[in-house]
Amino acid sequence: MKNKKAEAKKLWDELRDSVSKRPSPFAGMTEEEVIKHLRKTRKKVWEKKLAART
Amino acid sequence: MRLVLDANEYIFALGFFRKVSSESLLNFLIDNFSSHSICICRTIVEEVRANLTPNELPNFIKFINIFTTIEEDFFIPFEIGVRYETKGLKEADALIAAFTEWVGADVLVTENRHFLNRHPDLPFKILTAEECLKLI
Repeated sequence: MKNKKAEAKKLWDELRDSVSKRPSPFAGMTEEEVIKHLRKTRKKVWEKKLAART
Repeated sequence: MRLVLDANEYIFALGFFRKVSSESLLNFLIDNFSSHSICICRTIVEEVRANLTPNELPNFIKFINIFTTIEEDFFIPFEIGVRYETKGLKEADALIAAFTEWVGADVLVTENRHFLNRHPDLPFKILTAEECLKLI
């Protein structure tokens, strides 16, 4: 359990480090705009799923 | 406590947009690894994936797999999703709500105000990361 926690922490820190080293796709946006953007992403993912089913 | 974290919580916690409460929640859940369970479905993974590079994705999947198993959306009973659509949620949001109910989660954590418009008769709580931190 302790090993898993340490591994999770390491992976998470690596991910955050990687994200911090590149430009954010949400640069200059407000929180509300980010949420709106993410809702559009959700819609696209949903539409892609629907298209795959038909 | 069993939790479903919406995609926006992972995005905020990863630092794409600075939100201290989301970061604190993820750190708390990592630090208290065995105290709470996290559930995630394929749609949420896909939404996070849309913002990750191909190099980052394997780490995210590995991270998630330490906590839980990714549930495939097609296992979520259709009728539960329809019930949430009739409550006024959009199809994809209804899927997330249905997933939360189906896995028996206590809380759906999200910053999405469309979810945050409270429905009184839900079988789970809908909280922001800040509210969730106060609860757990």
